[in-house]
Amino acid sequence: MNPIAHKAGRVAVGAAGLLMSIAAGIGAPTWAAQQPAAADAPPVLQSETAGVTPFAGLTPHELSYNTLDGLTGGGIRVIDGDTAKLIATVYSSQYANFAWAPDHRTLYVSETYWTLGNRGQREDVLSIYGGPALSNEGEIPLPGRLISDPKTNTFALSPDGRYAYDYTFQPAPGVSVTDLNARKVVTSVEIPGCGLVFPFGKRGFASLCADGSLAVADLDRQGKYSVHRTKRFFDIMKDPVMDESVADRGSGLALFITNDGWVHPVQLGDAPRFDPAWSIEVAAGLSPATSTVGQITWRPSGQVPFAYDAPRRRLFALMREDSPWNNEKAGSEIWVLDARHHRLLHRWPVPESALLVAITPDAHPLLFALSQEWLWVMDPDSGAVLRATEIVTPGLVRVRGE
Amino acid sequence: MKRLDVDNLGERLTRRLAGRLSRRSALARLGAVLVAAPAFPLLPVQRARAADAGAVAQQGTDFSRAAQTHDDTACNYWRYCGIDGNLCSCCGGSTHSCPPGSQPSPTSWIGSCVNPGDQRSYLVAYRDCCGAKECNKCSCLNTDHAMPIYRPQANNHIIWCFGTQSFEYHCSMAVLVGLAE
Repeated sequence: MNPIAHKAGRVAVGAAGLLMSIAAGIGAPTWAAQQPAAADAPPVLQSETAGVTPFAGLTPHELSYNTLDGLTGGGIRVIDGDTAKLIATVYSSQYANFAWAPDHRTLYVSETYWTLGNRGQREDVLSIYGGPALSNEGEIPLPGRLISDPKTNTFALSPDGRYAYDYTFQPAPGVSVTDLNARKVVTSVEIPGCGLVFPFGKRGFASLCADGSLAVADLDRQGKYSVHRTKRFFDIMKDPVMDESVADRGSGLALFITNDGWVHPVQLGDAPRFDPAWSIEVAAGLSPATSTVGQITWRPSGQVPFAYDAPRRRLFALMREDSPWNNEKAGSEIWVLDARHHRLLHRWPVPESALLVAITPDAHPLLFALSQEWLWVMDPDSGAVLRATEIVTPGLVRVRGE
Repeated sequence: MKRLDVDNLGERLTRRLAGRLSRRSALARLGAVLVAAPAFPLLPVQRARAADAGAVAQQGTDFSRAAQTHDDTACNYWRYCGIDGNLCSCCGGSTHSCPPGSQPSPTSWIGSCVNPGDQRSYLVAYRDCCGAKECNKCSCLNTDHAMPIYRPQANNHIIWCFGTQSFEYHCSMAVLVGLAE
């Protein structure tokens, strides 16, 4: 068959159908009004007005994630953990990061565009979404930002939600500080040899450094940022602290976790308090993991391998039994750890394997495990899979308060 | 163990670049490298990687034990020990050339891989090809001695398109730089 003729035929049929539909739509009410209504006929359906389903803010059991899919492009999606249904989708560029304001309704998206798509003038912006339709409410120009696969700690809000911190790398590393009330960048802080951002207090933040220390930035008496380095607390060449370490925005407690599962609890502040490190493997009754070539044991692994339940002080770690330097592959179990007493509480197998985990911050939390195609909603206390849904490949995840 | 001969390596790289690039292009790239230079202390990195590579060559990682030398469209091709992304060899390019429609970034991160053919460790520059939509073929994630993002010169998650006309990621090459031993 001539494909062009066939296509033209389909177009003609489609056009005719459309015309008939329009004609029927115009003529039907008159005709229908003339027909006697049967006694048991269902009521006439009401006419409708198109609108937007109201968005009431991120609920305690909802999960948001950005998509990392070359075909679908960017985007931030909200899924209700109680139903596993998609609630909302917000536009974003590829390689975006995002955070929710403390009001749970305002979404900040750190992203990058070019005027001609893949070229032209580069524009780094902090886009603001909110209101009942979760609609765009403007942008704040940024001086730059890191473009990489999504990393949770490249963007964060201050605990009170007043300031946004954006890790920039173009290629000198720094952090831009944005006043979200004034909607403008107030300063950029250079952090040579360091990266990522972990906020604390009113205006402070810490960054991990390649020499094994922390860079601590806070306002001095003149109201300007000063940066100082702490002691070295890990050896990056032997056992680096993972990018996806976790920090509780409310308390300022950071758990810097290494490839081999050593947890360094640090109370962030101008003078950070370094508590003794503990081993996830030792907490589970195993020998400590080392970076010795060929040592097969359990290590944290995945794209976003940690979630922290701050109220209950529980660390959820996605774990994989493998050799060293395989910490980005999917994990097969989620270990639930008492971060206070350094004890393993549970080992929950995940269906197939998972790359990301998240825990909701409420009194009856839900545990999320995500693979490239699936989201599983789990009971953190029993490990039971409550429900599941197919998803677009996820980049990073945020729950309420993150 | 032989030490890395940085001078010879630099000379070889310079000659290779001079043979392939126009003066304007060379100046543009030189500018980009100069801009990037403060963030990429390449020589110490290469020395450190060379030392690492020696240990790796002696003991072997999971990747190096399973690596092969004949198929550069497979994730276990020996040069790909630290690659993250789409293989340019599957997208119309090769291990050291970008597919038409994209352009190579003058910046990269450096890894070291063991060649099972001669049991030597080589420095490999993982360079991104930029400007075209993501190729989406032969996606690999190998992490032998890949470092966190706060040590950028050894991180494979950063989009290494600095110095090109476009930051659109297309695919990744694994360009041989020289011996790491």
